Amino acid sequence: MNIPLNIDWQQILLHLLNFAILAGGLYLLLFKPVKAFMAKRESYYQNMDNEAKQKLQEAETLKVNYAQQLDGAAQEIAQKKADAQKAIEASRSEQLKMAKDEADRILESARANSEREHDKMLRDAQKEISDLAITAAEKLLLKGEGSPYEQFLNAANAEKRGEPDA
Amino acid sequence: MKSKKKQVFIVLWIAVIVLLGVLAIVVGSPGKSETVQETMRDAVLHETGQISLFGLKNVNPGLISGMVVTAILLVAAALIRIFAIPRFKMVPGRFQMLIEQAVGLFDNLAKNNSPWRHGFLGVYLFAVGTYIFVGTLFELIGVQVITVSGNPITLPAPLSDVNGAIAIGCLSYLVIMSGGIAGNGVKGIGKTLKEFSLPISMSFRLFGALLSGLLVTELVYYYVQLSVVLPVVIGVLFTLLHALIQTYVLTMLTALYYGEVSEPDHKEKVKKAKKAKKAA
Repeated sequence: MNIPLNIDWQQILLHLLNFAILAGGLYLLLFKPVKAFMAKRESYYQNMDNEAKQKLQEAETLKVNYAQQLDGAAQEIAQKKADAQKAIEASRSEQLKMAKDEADRILESARANSEREHDKMLRDAQKEISDLAITAAEKLLLKGEGSPYEQFLNAANAEKRGEPDA
Repeated sequence: MKSKKKQVFIVLWIAVIVLLGVLAIVVGSPGKSETVQETMRDAVLHETGQISLFGLKNVNPGLISGMVVTAILLVAAALIRIFAIPRFKMVPGRFQMLIEQAVGLFDNLAKNNSPWRHGFLGVYLFAVGTYIFVGTLFELIGVQVITVSGNPITLPAPLSDVNGAIAIGCLSYLVIMSGGIAGNGVKGIGKTLKEFSLPISMSFRLFGALLSGLLVTELVYYYVQLSVVLPVVIGVLFTLLHALIQTYVLTMLTALYYGEVSEPDHKEKVKKAKKAKKAA
């Protein structure tokens, strides 16, 4: 059969054979290794990206943890401050109470001392007066001059003036 | 002083060009062995301009071009594999970037057009894209061979041979069909057969595009008067442009149809999802 344009089936097959050799060779020598290299590079950068993302994530977590720790520390400080304030308050009020008690005790003691001094002085004065009275009565009784009352007065005046007993 | 020297150089240069041009026209050519019609007809049909393949068979020059291109590409790939790829760095240099871009371009084309199944498609697109691009640029080198009839010819682009274009067009169709079978089984074959005109359109689009480039080049080189300055535009820019365009068109079409026929059926997806739910 005469095919137009001188188409030759054998030459078509030879062209196909030629192209099959070329396609196989290009695939093995160029396409496959270049694609493998490109895939390797892609995975390398993908890994880098993943690592960077992971590190970022870790940093974010650390940041949150540190922020929480800082918050905790601030709360602890505030708590301790409040406790210290309370302790100071308690200590101050105790000291005040103690001082007040001491003052009360001192006052009480002073009052008791003064009471005692006063009573003692009063007792001494009474005793002295009674001694004087007794002394005067004795003198009057012993000398018999005038009434006892006058004698007593005279004796007292004489004592006041610093004269010796008559 | 410097500008005077420059002026003298430019005058001399133009004089040499004019002299050589005039001499070329005056001396003339020894006479054409074939007319322009014969040359162009032979570029299409290869009735006389055939080359012996190791003495086994007379073949079209496009097949020899294909073999030379394959050899060049495989040697280059082997050199790159041995010397360049082991020295690849995480931050690529210019050459590494170029290679990675070439591989990534076709691989991404496959991924974007057929996200559900693209492993084999990427390899095929890379191979066929490289073959079309380098094969088309190959005609710029102008490798001379002797035909069986004893005339010298320049090796053309492999795909300007109708057999080469049919081979690549039909192979692309088979690759598309393989995607359909892998993705949808028998339904995939039906889906692919709906596009029955695809192998013909793909083959003859390639053939037509590359042959037209070849014919224009043949026409330009046939006349001495046209072969000054004009080949810079025709030979280099046009060849570069249609190398890019044809590579893009064939790989894009193949990826597009492959993605279309290998796409899993929506009903099957729903069935699978229901089964998975029941199993769970």
